[in-house]
Amino acid sequence: MKRTTVLLSLLLSLVLVAAACSDDDAGTTTTAAAESPATTTAAEAPATTQAAPATTQAAPTEPPDPILIGAIHPLTGGLAGAGNRMDNGARMAVDEINAAGGIASLGGAPLELVSADSTGAADVGASEAERLIGDGVSALIGTYQSGVTLPVAAIAERDGVPLVIDVAVDDSILDQGYSDTFRMQPNATSMGANGAKFLSELGGDEIKTVAYLHDDTAFGVSVSQAFTVAPAALGIEVITDIPYAPFSVTDLTTEMAQAAAGSPDVIVVTGYYGDGLLAARAATDLEVDVKAIVGIAQGAFHTPQFVEDFGADSELFFNSNYHFNSSDPIVAGILERFEATFDDAMDTEAMLAYQAIYVIADALERAGSSDPADVQAALATTNIADHFLAYPGPITFDDTGENINAEPVLMQVVDGAVQQVLPAGLRETDPVFPGTPWGG
Amino acid sequence: MRGRSRRIVWAGLAVVVAVAVPQTAWWDLNHTVFAQAVVSGLLIGGVYSLVAMGLSLVFGVLDIINFAHGALMTITIYVSYLLFQNYGVDPYVSLVVTIPLMFVVGVGIQRFAINPVMDAPVHNQLLLTLGIAIIIENLALVLFTGTPRSIELAYARNEFDLGVVTLDFPLRVFGAVVSLPKLIAFLVALLLAGVLYLLIQRTQLGAAIRASAQEPEGAELVGIDVRRIYMITFGIGAACVGAAGSLVLPFLFVAPTAGATFTIIAFVVVVLGGMGSIPGALVGGLVIGLTQELTQLFVPGAKFLGVFIVFLAVLLFRPEGIFGKAGR
Repeated sequence: MKRTTVLLSLLLSLVLVAAACSDDDAGTTTTAAAESPATTTAAEAPATTQAAPATTQAAPTEPPDPILIGAIHPLTGGLAGAGNRMDNGARMAVDEINAAGGIASLGGAPLELVSADSTGAADVGASEAERLIGDGVSALIGTYQSGVTLPVAAIAERDGVPLVIDVAVDDSILDQGYSDTFRMQPNATSMGANGAKFLSELGGDEIKTVAYLHDDTAFGVSVSQAFTVAPAALGIEVITDIPYAPFSVTDLTTEMAQAAAGSPDVIVVTGYYGDGLLAARAATDLEVDVKAIVGIAQGAFHTPQFVEDFGADSELFFNSNYHFNSSDPIVAGILERFEATFDDAMDTEAMLAYQAIYVIADALERAGSSDPADVQAALATTNIADHFLAYPGPITFDDTGENINAEPVLMQVVDGAVQQVLPAGLRETDPVFPGTPWGG
Repeated sequence: MRGRSRRIVWAGLAVVVAVAVPQTAWWDLNHTVFAQAVVSGLLIGGVYSLVAMGLSLVFGVLDIINFAHGALMTITIYVSYLLFQNYGVDPYVSLVVTIPLMFVVGVGIQRFAINPVMDAPVHNQLLLTLGIAIIIENLALVLFTGTPRSIELAYARNEFDLGVVTLDFPLRVFGAVVSLPKLIAFLVALLLAGVLYLLIQRTQLGAAIRASAQEPEGAELVGIDVRRIYMITFGIGAACVGAAGSLVLPFLFVAPTAGATFTIIAFVVVVLGGMGSIPGALVGGLVIGLTQELTQLFVPGAKFLGVFIVFLAVLLFRPEGIFGKAGR
């Protein structure tokens, strides 16, 4: 009896700790602090040399010292799939830039990527940022999650090292008046507002009511709130709001039934890949009576893997999300190289990480210095027109660090492929609306 | 008698909830949604039961908190996934591989990792199983990357002519949808629970397991090889979660953390049902499944809140669990 009580109290405290950390890392807490990021990165890294800590760079043969760039992504835990692809994207960009002669204005100095594992947890991401800055990185990229990016941005600002956010949506990251943080992707307001605009363009008067199913992390909450504010002027009303815990759920059928219960015109979904798959399965099983299922910043519905995994049932799912410019032949080449190198389909998240390295390389080139302060000043005047993303203009940052031209595109799975359907300028095929695979 | 009256109180509470809930405004609006929550809760609850049974057995007999339980499940999900992807083996057919495989893995873990620390302090054992979990998860990450993978059964949305009736999947029950993979998982989980119960209650091996759980030294005195029983018990526990892994594959997805999701819930089920009790794990799983889905109905997004409230309530008011014997 006594032993049982001890066991129970131990167990209880563990469970409570796990439950308390449920924000961005639920279900992965048990592994959180215990893994060495270096080992997992080594396993994931291509056959090229593994990024070593800065202390081992005494090699006198190469005159220009390598310029360190830190990359913080979730390399283990529930988001490890996306995190490793992003790390690979950044690595490929670094290898390409080095193969092309490095940074010319710095005597051909090569770049060196130092990868770190956030494990999907904010505290680990923050301590890894401190470690990388201690190692002497000229800039940071990351981190895929809003909840992790918030503390990382605060540390980058404090230490005066520029952070280029590849993926992280929450507006509040840049609301702090930081000068060292720059964001490549559209923020939550842009995601929400453009998503609403696409719905109105897509359905006209046919879309009046929306049920919103979203993950309950900073990501899903910020996007759904931005969406809820935006469509009032467009005559669209959110009648049901259903949050869920993205890393603990094993089934979303009840949630989907709740969303469908108010007979909305459209069900909107925001979240990550695995939970997106569960939502799609639930909608298909229920054959929800709506005009369309539309993802907004959804992590699954616009990926080739979704089409591959979910087969014919993936047909006609919409997603309004950032996207690489799939009509650009240069982008097609990047996708091919990525696939050939890593035996894995490149997604837009990996493209954003790849692009972030090119943005930093461009700043280094113009700055002629690897000092973080000089890189920051150069980043602030970035103007890259020949980028790889489906944005209406060049990559250029405003005073707060937002990429002015970052906008999502609306995609739909049509004829077994993810195709851009809106805006008209980037259209690959006409949208099918109303459209669900089960008819209607 | 005392335990029985407690059980009656519990059952009474359940009836009150079942009667009271349909009186609310929600019921009028959304009885389909309510039916869906009940159906989803029972179906996922069956899987919780199966996962928890293995955990409960190990907990009850060996007094080991096995944090590697979910990681063992991850192994079988990957095994079933690979068999399906590479050789087209149906996940349900792969049960004949995963159950024996995990039994052997379980016996091995007990023999080589846990037996040496059987007399060590609780936290040492706990850290050991946690370490095994971390090793398995990261091995999966290295071997298969973290990208979630999934399979779709070709026959999951299909009509089945059973002669008497034709079942059109996904089935509709009171407006709620019952998908074929979840129904199969539920039924097989119930079946395995029955088999396990008979094994423990009606066989000589079961008697030896029960003896080793109640009085290891006494069992040793009457000639039972307790260390061997411990290995077999851990093997059976791992085999339960092995079966669960194959069963969830068609409606979940594979990722290195897929099994870990079930670990915490399984602990709650074990505590609720009573340590070492197979019927307790079965009922506990169903109750927790229902609790989580019904909580979702009334407090959207707080699915697991209800689960942990139940957990705390059980610890406070009935720490031995519904079917547990007080004073063990």
